[in-house]
Amino acid sequence: MKYIGTGMTSLTNRQLAAGKGTFVADYKPEGMLHMAVLRSPYASARIRSIDTKAAEQMPGVVYVITGQEVAANMNPIFEAYDTAAMGAKGVKWYALVPERVRFVGECVAAVVAEDKWTARAAADAIEVDYEELQPVTDPEKAMEPGAPLVEPEWGDNILVTRDFRSGDPDKAFAEADGTISGVVKQHRYTGAAIEPRAYLANYDPYQDLLTFHASTQNPHPMRVFLAETLGIPETSIRVIQPHVGGGFGLKIPTFQEEPLLAYLARKLQRPIRFVAERTEDLLAGGHAREERLYYEVAYKKDGTVTGLRAKVIADVGAPSALCGWGQSFVTSYCIPTCYKIPNNRVQLFSVVTNKCPWNAYRGYGKEAASFMMDRIMDNVARETGLDRAEVRLRNYIQPHEFPYSQVSGAMLDSGDYPKALRKVLDMIDYENFPAMQAAARKEGRYLGIGIGQELTPEGCSMPRSTLLGGWDGCTVRVNPSGQVTILTGVTSPGSGNETAIAQIVADELGVSIDHIKVIQGDTDTCPYGLGNYSSRSIIMGGSAAKVAANELREKMLKVASKLLEVAPDDVDAEDDKFFLKGAPTRFVTFKEVASTVYRDCHGKAAFDVEPGLEATRYFKHPNVYHQPDTQGRFSSYPSWPNQAVAIIVEVDPETGKFKIVRYCAVHDSGVVINPLLAEANLHGGFVQGIGGAAFEHLVYDESGQLLTTTFMDYTCPTAVDVPSFEVAHQETPSPFTPLGTKGVGESGVTGPLGGLCSAIENALADRNVRLTELPLTPSRVWEAISAAQGGNR
Amino acid sequence: MKKTIQITVNGKSYSRDADTRQVLADFLRDELRLTGTHIGCGTGSCGACTVVLDGRTVKSCCILAADVDGQEITTIEGISTGAQQLHPIQEAFVEFQGLQCGYCTPGMVLSAMQLLKENPNPSEDEIRHGISGNLCRCTGYHFIVKSIQEAAKRLQASK
Ligand code: FES
Ligand code: FES
Repeated sequence: MKYIGTGMTSLTNRQLAAGKGTFVADYKPEGMLHMAVLRSPYASARIRSIDTKAAEQMPGVVYVITGQEVAANMNPIFEAYDTAAMGAKGVKWYALVPERVRFVGECVAAVVAEDKWTARAAADAIEVDYEELQPVTDPEKAMEPGAPLVEPEWGDNILVTRDFRSGDPDKAFAEADGTISGVVKQHRYTGAAIEPRAYLANYDPYQDLLTFHASTQNPHPMRVFLAETLGIPETSIRVIQPHVGGGFGLKIPTFQEEPLLAYLARKLQRPIRFVAERTEDLLAGGHAREERLYYEVAYKKDGTVTGLRAKVIADVGAPSALCGWGQSFVTSYCIPTCYKIPNNRVQLFSVVTNKCPWNAYRGYGKEAASFMMDRIMDNVARETGLDRAEVRLRNYIQPHEFPYSQVSGAMLDSGDYPKALRKVLDMIDYENFPAMQAAARKEGRYLGIGIGQELTPEGCSMPRSTLLGGWDGCTVRVNPSGQVTILTGVTSPGSGNETAIAQIVADELGVSIDHIKVIQGDTDTCPYGLGNYSSRSIIMGGSAAKVAANELREKMLKVASKLLEVAPDDVDAEDDKFFLKGAPTRFVTFKEVASTVYRDCHGKAAFDVEPGLEATRYFKHPNVYHQPDTQGRFSSYPSWPNQAVAIIVEVDPETGKFKIVRYCAVHDSGVVINPLLAEANLHGGFVQGIGGAAFEHLVYDESGQLLTTTFMDYTCPTAVDVPSFEVAHQETPSPFTPLGTKGVGESGVTGPLGGLCSAIENALADRNVRLTELPLTPSRVWEAISAAQGGNR
Repeated sequence: MKKTIQITVNGKSYSRDADTRQVLADFLRDELRLTGTHIGCGTGSCGACTVVLDGRTVKSCCILAADVDGQEITTIEGISTGAQQLHPIQEAFVEFQGLQCGYCTPGMVLSAMQLLKENPNPSEDEIRHGISGNLCRCTGYHFIVKSIQEAAKRLQASK
């Protein structure tokens, strides 16, 4: 049988459903100590002094550490991005802050103790004398002259700017039939994996080896970051990633607690564990998304958009070593997404404030670009009187126009946007919706339909990055018994890429999947690789597995052909056999061939092949451009999955509450290895998208205090808040990967943003409601209704 | 401070000293090493720590171990007898992809089990309400609901 294209369930299901998985917090080695962290209660303050005496004297306390010791003994945390290569400002961020805190939740001191209660109580007994400073918590205020500076040495609060231009926007605006200007606002929210961040560090001085178990997405890069920050060789560290309870980008290094725990374990030579409490993760586990996008568009009467000016202002929080701020760059890089707009100017202002730093979150800034373009297309439709779908169809890049270079230098690989949109409109019966809407209205029910269009570039590869690279590695080993071991450089946070990679290798070798075991997440057994992010595990890891398996296939075909006494070209592999093409009854078993290579390497069939059946290969994606063009642009995303979404909602205009009645999506991520797991991933993306669009919000007050520090205030959608989903796949293969895959992991989070705004506005069309800001809480929708009624349109 | 408690977990009785600060979830995990009960929030909001206590589901992060003296508890480890002998609800989760990372799963399965005990033939809506105390960030609930529907069918058929 062939496995690619088969919807198999995940190989890890049984173990995890039994409750027999192993997460970091499940480890409890003999003599283990606990670390607790004291965090800054202020958004901006100078540390005058720290008194640790009371903490040190508490029974059960083993060690107390502050930023002074950290700064004297460790390097600043190694930055996930090479900020200089990105034209951005960097920062010296220590595992504990020695002098100045810049957001509530930043790590100031830590205690190691025999039990977690003592560690917590002792951390709270540390006395810090702070001189409170004026924080800045609004990005546009932070851009004003005279604003308090998050980093005084910078001279301003701008981390990076970008300015992309194409064509002649001024002319386009001068010649337009109409123009529209507006803003869309996306609020701060985050991934909130149910497993909080957790690490266990254990140092063996006899081997000079620090073993670091981490709930991380990136074991190898994490090892580099730890080694560089601690100033020790990489080979003295082994990072092991056991089961991970969800990542979504938030478990990408480098957090302060990681090198801190590593340092303490080496120093104290005892195993130490740190498991974040939910509040700690909400305060300091990485935020994302908060962006305002100002736009002006020029359009013609026929709905074609001829010019766009966009200004992205991102509030990336306090600067840190984390990779989150890159999301703002990606927002500007993606504009104008799927659309062919000849004249553009796109500006980015990535602004720092005294809030939690961003870390990566599924969507990684792409969602904001698509959200803005969705709002623009709906507005053009309203102004021209054209249908919302029609306006999109008139502006899409057409399938024959790829590769297509966007204003930012982004090189879009392939796609068929019109086909996907038409398909989703068919699925939801768009044509007949007005009749359904009218019938419902007669019963007093307000139904609306909306369209969301997402473009989700994947496989991120940034210049000179330790973390973000357009390549990965895989080892495939056929054992003497014919059983296969796959070791990957990519990792799985539970999304099932191990299963898809096994499917790829099974097909390439013609071996059944029951004979395959996949090993991931260990720097000392797996080939070098960058782990999981940017939906890269199948694009990069799957491609590497394919080429590694192919090398073994060729070798085994050669041996099999000798055993069969035919030419290698006449032999094929499937169902655990090598057989003569056209005469499948003439075969040797896969096992026999493996055995021959190992046991008979001087014999007739294998004398001229290298012994062993193991291949480690790396795949590098070709559609990446790091050598800047004449405008200084580079293209960091090689793969461009896309999706069209159609949503029906029912709105209660009295309360502003809405319910999703139907949710349809047509997804195109190229060739799909495992449709079931791809769909499962999408479902998760939809709900995180709906959560962001309507439920989840990290709220700060003006003094920089986070008000949503538990799951009681930071409300993730439950099963009753979301519908069932209808999903169809469309496959426009990537021209650049050996299997045509494009990546699926981040898709789905974007559609709900524009799609829900579009649907709610449509439900309330006769009231002229305008939605420009998320989240779409009942009060926000209700306010928009009131504003429209009081307004002059 | 320690308090000696006698409890029955998954049919086995234990007499242990529990720290009076220790919540039941930690007691199960750290003292009995039943690590299938997970902790996601500690405030009763996520349901990862769900266990069955004297016949009803509870969030074990919000109960002190010292307070369950004399009671009977079922954890995820108690509903199957081996890798190939999972509970029918677990089997349905495995077959219908009702999980991804597996962190919410033990709590989700126990909530589903309780739901089907009380309502063997629930509607989709009733299923969604039955698991509304359990957050999942990976699956979007879609395949969880499907798994529970399938489990209900099978349990009904086997009666
Ligand atoms: S850990 Fe108990 S409800 Fe979240
Ligand atoms: S499967 Fe990951 S949280 Fe539910």
